[in-house]
Amino acid sequence: MPLNSFGRPLLLAAGFGTVLSMTTALSGVARAAEDAPVVNGVSQVHITLVGDNGGACLIDYDHIKAGPITFTVTNKTATAITEVEIQSDNRILGEKENLAPGLPAVALTLTLGGGSYQVYCPGAGQELQTFTVTGKAAAAATGTTAQLLQDGTIGYAKYVAGVAASMVDAVTILKADIDAGDLAKAKAEYPLARPFYERIESDVDSFVLPGFKATDNAGSLDYLIDMRASALDPKVGWHGFHAIERDLFQNNAITAETKSQAAELLTHVEMLAKLTPTLTYKPEDLANGAADLLEEVQTTKVTGEEEDFSHIDLLDFAGNVEGAQQAFAFLEPGMMKIDPDLTARVQAEFAKVNAMLDTYRDKTQPGGYELYTAQIKAADAAKLSKAIQALQEPLSKIGEKVATAEK
Amino acid sequence: MADTSTKASSLSRRGMLFGATAGAVGVAAHAAAFAASPAQSGDDMVDLTKSHPFYGDAQQAGISTEPQRHSMFMTFDLTTAKVGDIQVLLALWSAAIAQMMQGATIGQVEPPQDSAVGLDTGEALNLGPASLTVTIGLGPKIFTDIYGLSHQRPPLLRELIALPSDSLVPGLTGGDLSVQACADDPQVAYHAVRDLARIAKSTGSAQTRWTVMGFGRASAGRGQQTPRNLLGFKDGTRNLKEDAEFEKFVWVKDGPAWQRYGSYQVVRKIQMHIENWDTDRVSDQNNVFGRHKVSGAPLTGKTEFDTPDFAKTDASGNTVILPTAHIALAAHENNNGIRILRRSYNYTDGLNQFGQLDAGLFFMSYQNDPAHFEALQTRLGASDALNEYIAHIGSGIFFAPPAPKQGEYIGQAIFS
Repeated sequence: MPLNSFGRPLLLAAGFGTVLSMTTALSGVARAAEDAPVVNGVSQVHITLVGDNGGACLIDYDHIKAGPITFTVTNKTATAITEVEIQSDNRILGEKENLAPGLPAVALTLTLGGGSYQVYCPGAGQELQTFTVTGKAAAAATGTTAQLLQDGTIGYAKYVAGVAASMVDAVTILKADIDAGDLAKAKAEYPLARPFYERIESDVDSFVLPGFKATDNAGSLDYLIDMRASALDPKVGWHGFHAIERDLFQNNAITAETKSQAAELLTHVEMLAKLTPTLTYKPEDLANGAADLLEEVQTTKVTGEEEDFSHIDLLDFAGNVEGAQQAFAFLEPGMMKIDPDLTARVQAEFAKVNAMLDTYRDKTQPGGYELYTAQIKAADAAKLSKAIQALQEPLSKIGEKVATAEK
Repeated sequence: MADTSTKASSLSRRGMLFGATAGAVGVAAHAAAFAASPAQSGDDMVDLTKSHPFYGDAQQAGISTEPQRHSMFMTFDLTTAKVGDIQVLLALWSAAIAQMMQGATIGQVEPPQDSAVGLDTGEALNLGPASLTVTIGLGPKIFTDIYGLSHQRPPLLRELIALPSDSLVPGLTGGDLSVQACADDPQVAYHAVRDLARIAKSTGSAQTRWTVMGFGRASAGRGQQTPRNLLGFKDGTRNLKEDAEFEKFVWVKDGPAWQRYGSYQVVRKIQMHIENWDTDRVSDQNNVFGRHKVSGAPLTGKTEFDTPDFAKTDASGNTVILPTAHIALAAHENNNGIRILRRSYNYTDGLNQFGQLDAGLFFMSYQNDPAHFEALQTRLGASDALNEYIAHIGSGIFFAPPAPKQGEYIGQAIFS
């Protein structure tokens, strides 16, 4: 790894600006001279996940030339980190999921303009690290409001397609564990496969299989993928994630039925992964989708109803919030022009919700959040719900704002 | 006894509540801007001196009676194995109900003996009859071998089948007896149920099971404007109102004489996810119902009572009213002509354990076959767009026998 050869352990703490500059001063390294190497016009950067210090996410260069950049991500020993995101002001520009020690390195190429960016590794000791892209600044957000909103919908569409693709990877792993009859591995994999749907559910919950009526749950992809006990249609029965959850966590057994459910689930999430890249969105769709995800938090996560057997509701909760925040973040440049005060209100409420969610992080749990036990629910459910309520109201104003923005 | 004994001379400020009418004057100019807002009628003026008869030759009061403003519903578990105890309880209840529906007490409030307790709890003193009706329902367990009454079971009385999306809470389901009290003064309705519960406990034959207090009637009767549920939508626009409809869909017309003009009572406590609904865009709300929020008009029409056109399509070929819209799934046109009488009320239980508003609809329906309710709810529970915002958490089924004749008690013929 270049890490050692360049002698830059300071990157472990790259997020702390003061630490960074101090160490730089001591080592006397002029960082400007050390832009990441460029091969065939593409800057090459490596992100390495290691288990040291409670899990760390190391980027080997913190200055990169503007233009196409390939991030190669390897999880060497970090069992608590499964995900790396490249962000700009909270917008996820690209991400890699399903990272685990022993899996081959994966690459992600983005074209970035000059400016400050972040590597976000949920679950790492230091989750957020900044890096600088030098050179020509990216086209600043200076278009018309309508253009900014339009750009946001395109960025968001990529996000949704990326999440759906990652869901296929995770469900493939879950299915393999189930096919192998490995109950312990399947139980550990189930939480890792869950958050994707929770992030994008509002965009994909209305698909109906060909040949079925809209009123028939047997053809509703949402029912088939994510039905739960409280939505049970006795005629159609149990399907999808929660049928598998019930087998793994309540019945403690993998049966032939579990295996056929896993195969069916994979088929259905693959359908979604094919569909999502074809979807286009209006700005208000993003706002409405964000609101829908927060509704999900209120009705099924706060109540502990979603994950009745595995109790990973807080992980799903975080998934819903991430999806909502992504939708909002892609509207943010346009919203700042339309109503900066409201935008700031929503940002502040998202920050409060995320700060609250952080208090439930638990690296010993697959997925990274404490289980939503009866004790936690009794003590904290009202607090969790009220934080979401405080976000729902201002967020609900955004749909109208973006739908009626000047064209 | 006169059906509606309005004594004009006895009207006082206390006796008159101006409901929808009073507000309408102030907003008339504003409302005129919305062509869809109907003119307010004076039919909703409340007269607290009005009373309904308990005894009669046909149905019990409180079913086809125009819905009053408030309700209190409670179910009871029988704690006796003796059929005679049930007879005593129903007889005591009948006498007490006859008193209370006339605005009278059921006994002394302040007995002369120092060490005595009052028979009547007193909080309804001088409040007037307030159109109180108390309707008794008999649960499936009564008609079993425990009481030697299997042979008397109304043929269609049984537990409801498991329905899609049921989220029933055990403590909010079932019961062997139901008491539905409705009145234009909430304290009058509350008093009626409270004092009937005392009688049940004093006989030792029954104990309380679950209860819901309702307000803001959420289904219109004949001559009433359609009221609104807590989602802000008119509820019951297409409710049964005409005698012929009651004859066809509500009253049991065959079997033993004591069952005729009885009806099957289904109750459902339906929780609403208020905060989520309140932050949902109005276009989605309208699509969920298939109606416009203010006017109540179907999305295919202009005014409330326009018949919905479920086949009408928009430019892109989709039906204007979604196939999963609440009214599309509930409409008799799409359910082999099935219709039921709805007599629901709004309820609130304050805040729930999650700090959310705990409120919803106390749904009550009467029909001559409980399978009619099941058929409708099977469709609604499976795919109603409204399911995102509601959960059925309570449930019960009862047979409401016809009214007793003067000098008899409710259900008396069952025991002969």
